[in-house]
Amino acid sequence: MDGASQPKPDWKIGVDIGGTFMDFCALETVSGRVASLKVLTTPDDPGAELLDGLCLLAEREGLDPAYVTRFVHGTTVGINTIIQRKGAKLALITNAGFEDVIELARLRMPDMYSLFCHRPDPLIARDMVFGVPVRMRADGSEALAPDTASVAAAARQAQAAGAEGVIVALLHSWRDTSQEASVKAMIEAATPGMFVFTSSEVWPVIREYERTSTAILNGYVHPRVAGYLTALESRLDAQGVPAKAMLTRSNGGLMSAGQGRRDCVSMLLSGTASGVIGASWLARQAGEARVLTLDIGGTSADFALIVDGEVQYGTDEQVGEFPLHIPSVSVSSIGIGGGSIATLGALGVLRVGPESAGSNPGPACYGRGGTDATVTDALAVCGWLGHSEMAYGQLRMNVDLARQAVGVLADQLGRSIEETAQAIIDIAVSEMFVEVEKLCSRAGVDLRDFALMPFGGGGPMLGAFLAQELGMSRVIAPRRPGVVSALGGLVSDLRGDFIRTVYAPLEDATLPQLEQDFAALADEGRAWLDTQGFDGTADLRLSADMRYAGQSFEIEVALSPDWLNAVDQIAAAFHETHKRIYDFEDPDGKIELVNLRLSALGGAPKPTFPVSQATQEQATADRHVPVWINGWCDVPIYDRAQLGGGAVFDGPAIVAQEDTTFAVPPGASAHVDAHLNIHLSLVEQSNV
Amino acid sequence: MSDKMTLQVLANHARAAAENMAHTLHRTAHSAFVKETQDFTVLLMDRIGDTFAVPMDLGATWYPGLSHGPAIEMVDDYRPGDVAFTNDPYSGHVATHTPDTHLWRPIFDGDDIVAFAGGHIHNTDMGGAVPASLSRSLTEIHQEGIRFPPMKLVNEGVFDPQILRIMETNVRKPALNIGDIKALAGALSTGERKVQAMISRFGKTGFLQGVSALMDQSEAQARDILRAIPDGEYVFADYADEDSDEANPCRLKLTLRITGDSAVLDFTGSDPQLASSLNVPSGGNPRHTILLVGVYYVLYTLNPRMLLNTGMTRPFTCIAPEGTVLNPVEPAAVGMRSLTCARLRSVIFGAFSQAIPDRMPAAPAGNNCIVNVMTRDERTQKTVIAAVNPVVGGGGGMPHRDGSNGSGADAAYLKNTPIEITETEVPVEFVKYGLAQDSGGAGYWRGGLATEMAFRVFSPDTRITARNRDRSFFRPWGTLGGHAAGLSDMMINPGTPQARPLGNVDTAILEPGDVLEIRSAGGGGRGDPLQRPAERVARDVLGGYVSVDAARHEYGVVITDGVVDEDATTALRASMTPHTQHFHFGPERDGYEAQWTDTAYDLLTQILADLPIHWRFFTKTEIFRRMKGRKGPEGVTAAFAEVCERFPALPHAAPRKEAAE
Repeated sequence: MDGASQPKPDWKIGVDIGGTFMDFCALETVSGRVASLKVLTTPDDPGAELLDGLCLLAEREGLDPAYVTRFVHGTTVGINTIIQRKGAKLALITNAGFEDVIELARLRMPDMYSLFCHRPDPLIARDMVFGVPVRMRADGSEALAPDTASVAAAARQAQAAGAEGVIVALLHSWRDTSQEASVKAMIEAATPGMFVFTSSEVWPVIREYERTSTAILNGYVHPRVAGYLTALESRLDAQGVPAKAMLTRSNGGLMSAGQGRRDCVSMLLSGTASGVIGASWLARQAGEARVLTLDIGGTSADFALIVDGEVQYGTDEQVGEFPLHIPSVSVSSIGIGGGSIATLGALGVLRVGPESAGSNPGPACYGRGGTDATVTDALAVCGWLGHSEMAYGQLRMNVDLARQAVGVLADQLGRSIEETAQAIIDIAVSEMFVEVEKLCSRAGVDLRDFALMPFGGGGPMLGAFLAQELGMSRVIAPRRPGVVSALGGLVSDLRGDFIRTVYAPLEDATLPQLEQDFAALADEGRAWLDTQGFDGTADLRLSADMRYAGQSFEIEVALSPDWLNAVDQIAAAFHETHKRIYDFEDPDGKIELVNLRLSALGGAPKPTFPVSQATQEQATADRHVPVWINGWCDVPIYDRAQLGGGAVFDGPAIVAQEDTTFAVPPGASAHVDAHLNIHLSLVEQSNV
Repeated sequence: MSDKMTLQVLANHARAAAENMAHTLHRTAHSAFVKETQDFTVLLMDRIGDTFAVPMDLGATWYPGLSHGPAIEMVDDYRPGDVAFTNDPYSGHVATHTPDTHLWRPIFDGDDIVAFAGGHIHNTDMGGAVPASLSRSLTEIHQEGIRFPPMKLVNEGVFDPQILRIMETNVRKPALNIGDIKALAGALSTGERKVQAMISRFGKTGFLQGVSALMDQSEAQARDILRAIPDGEYVFADYADEDSDEANPCRLKLTLRITGDSAVLDFTGSDPQLASSLNVPSGGNPRHTILLVGVYYVLYTLNPRMLLNTGMTRPFTCIAPEGTVLNPVEPAAVGMRSLTCARLRSVIFGAFSQAIPDRMPAAPAGNNCIVNVMTRDERTQKTVIAAVNPVVGGGGGMPHRDGSNGSGADAAYLKNTPIEITETEVPVEFVKYGLAQDSGGAGYWRGGLATEMAFRVFSPDTRITARNRDRSFFRPWGTLGGHAAGLSDMMINPGTPQARPLGNVDTAILEPGDVLEIRSAGGGGRGDPLQRPAERVARDVLGGYVSVDAARHEYGVVITDGVVDEDATTALRASMTPHTQHFHFGPERDGYEAQWTDTAYDLLTQILADLPIHWRFFTKTEIFRRMKGRKGPEGVTAAFAEVCERFPALPHAAPRKEAAE
């Protein structure tokens, strides 16, 4: 390209990988062109789909890799390694007498009414756990120093048994990391070639099970993730992409690919996290500060809350069967999706899920051999689906097959196929209703002043029905619901999280330590941003995990560094936060400060997306199709690509686009905003 | 909308309401009992107080079949905004010990009550003779704290200040109690709001019919399960190690009669009402939830889609004669009924194990021991009282996998406290926290291992309580050829010259530097251990779950240098005799029952049943004292004759006719 007279193009690309597709969201900032696409994943050669996508972007949009200035990637290679249990063979070196910390976990088990309940097998079998004589006390003093001989013997035994790496997790390393560090050095000297992670370098938090299991997850995925990232970087290099690859993280931020090789655990939940980040960015554009996001796939539905413009964080998210204890964007999940199967139980009561037809064979209507009636089949029977191509032309629906599958249940029930299909949809929605209600009561929010934002392939199909069930009156459907996670990566900042466990009463005597810890955390944060290649001004956010003395759990309270010399201001912030979350405060209660946290953010200039002119105008329907809404009615179909800013229409309606179908129920009124989001206003339904 | 096809929609709304209440309570409660141990329940009830929805994620597992009906009826003139409450085990038999405070709130639609929202919290202390109000040694309900019979606590939205003052005056931690009670009251308001939303969603008639359909469905699920179980009479007994400080065993006996789609649980032959707080106050209600908890586990295990509500109790009728341990009369103490309840559950599991051997696990460890320490922090010179950790044992071997290690089955709701947290807050130092080798019953499917915990204390006069300790004499049983599990134990300074075994006691006083070690029982084994693939035994040995010795003696697997010696194993296994009876109890119980045969114990309980209630426990103890050198029903008859002679005032009726051996 001869760029002497023309400004050079400037491409920013976000890429996120899902179960079936790799999603691309590309923005060319000079012309304001936005492109999104999906390519099928290549499970046998993870990363190869990247080239397919770049080629397609070149073909369709004229992308020249030489002008890619930002490349952000979210990968599932880590989480898949855990779910498939195909990670590294690890050994654990820990204190003698405490070898079973990972097997006992926190004792409590899921499914507690069943006599067959059990915990997942740990990722490290008991014969690969080595207790060595070493002990630190709770105050950080050393009761028993590690001795080289027994550590080296354990390491050699581990290596002989086939360990690729070692996790070192010792009691009270949250207080002082030196004991773990010296054990690590002993192992490295005795058995070069095995990689070693200590629990305190991965995430130095108090609570031995949580810290140990987080370090194990990190080591377990490390070889695969590092290998994947090396391949990714060389592929980008080969394509002539000058931008350094950035990775999305579970905390909704970014890090460099180099960081990701060692800090593997921080990317495990990046897919769902960047979905919520993308959704929050879209919501801000659409002027919504309080949003429930809904991402429905084939086997599950994910929900998250955005409160006053902020995504919510938690430290007890789930990765496969294991809890993950690093700060992560909080997302709730339920095993109900488009592929969930309907069955009949006692007294002819219809149930949906948890069994799923998955993506193979998938719903009956996909024509891949599935015969069970799924939620997608029910939507097809009722006419909400099946009028256009799906998944960028890679799927065609066969409504007859859907009718056959649902018909089997209808016969058993003695009902019509349509009534049965409607019941399946209602039940699937009510299953999600339970999960959202739990989420809201935990968070203490009232959904009535929230808007629901559905995305993903299935979110828009059921989103408006779920909003009605929840008594919500507003739904926003973004223009490109299939690539929200990829977009999320594109609009994220670098973000590193750092923690110091303080565990001291909040009183004047503790303040010097807090100031010292804050200074150390700030240095750590700035240095981290430096190594990610960031040269702007660091945005440092301080918070503390605090509780009333006697409580066994903490809440995170945002702090200003200015308050570190004033107990009163810290206490006031804590009382106020406690009141907001738990509905009560105890102004005379003693406060304990457990952790000091710092997030270091390195902001990138935010891309601006084109804005369309919005003049109100009645939308024109493509055609009408029959849809079952307590009887067959004629319902208009709108083509999403034709809906410009300002377009208005009323439900019932169907909006079809290449990657999803948006079902608009009766009584809804829709308008399209300048960013091409569709906003629905719903009337309250009763006695449906 | 009482349409069966879409009943699940209503079921989900009801469950969402219950989960909502649970999260609201969990979020706003003050005490560790509610926040951490999750010793609470919330529930939605129909107009007569039968439960129709409970949460599945949070809280305790005991009350999904509870009816508040008897307590609800004891309060008049409900108005919108009222909340009534009780913690008295003897008024309506809804509360089951004094710390458990039950609240309920009527939900109105117009002038009609359409439902109740309710629940319970375990208060940290209700006053009485000992802190926390619970001790096995207590003999009267009056020692277990202040009792409130059913009465209104909140009148049209306003807390009754007099009741709160009375409570504050009588309990040791008033702020925690009041905070938790208010949090529960808040959760009940949430329940009311959610039920009203359901009424506008489904209509009043749709709601009422739907609620009754939910119970019908649960009943139908339970009846489906019973119908698939062969008709018959299944008899089983199990023992708590000690009935009181007098330290004789306490027998619970069940005759389970299954006929078609219903079942009778006849507990005749169980111990008399005890002079300790191990009594279970069922009030003789044939469907009291506390008698049926084991049944809920069985039903849910057989059908994981079981809808848990009062409907599932309908096919069951319990017989618990008055004046017995499962139906004590006032003023029997009841505080530690949870120990007896654990045994009650294993009796139920044992009876069902005979009815459906293919589908039931072996016995879980069954000792949900909660360890508390009271010591002095030498750094701050303050007295510290803290829960250290629950010491729970493994689950029994399952039909398709080994029992879960360290906890499981009917104790899966308990949570531990991180060692790092405990050591930071309490001046104790742990020596060990892990699994005990060879403690799981051997079997084709091995029982789960026991938990072993040891810690050192540093201050004189450090007091330990280990509530609910049991299974130090009667092992968790194995089934179908599987072996009984290891016993629980408590010991001071193990492995030293100062070692002091503590037997089954549940308290200890330690000196500075003392180490206390507590081990739970394990889970029973299931199926013939000689059939367990040698490779799996070898893997257990490699992991340290099973020792080389036990591999040889229990499993007949010879392991040399970590490798199975195939020939030696084949030869050894051929020489060993598998256990062929349905249950394997271990030598302690076998020995005990050589003296106390089933018939002998039956005769004992018959003799006692004919006495006035307040003579029964006394007479049991006196008979036990005279059983040395005696056995069988003849022994009991002779011992009883001696007792009659020694205590002429004993108001015995006509002498018992000999029961046929």
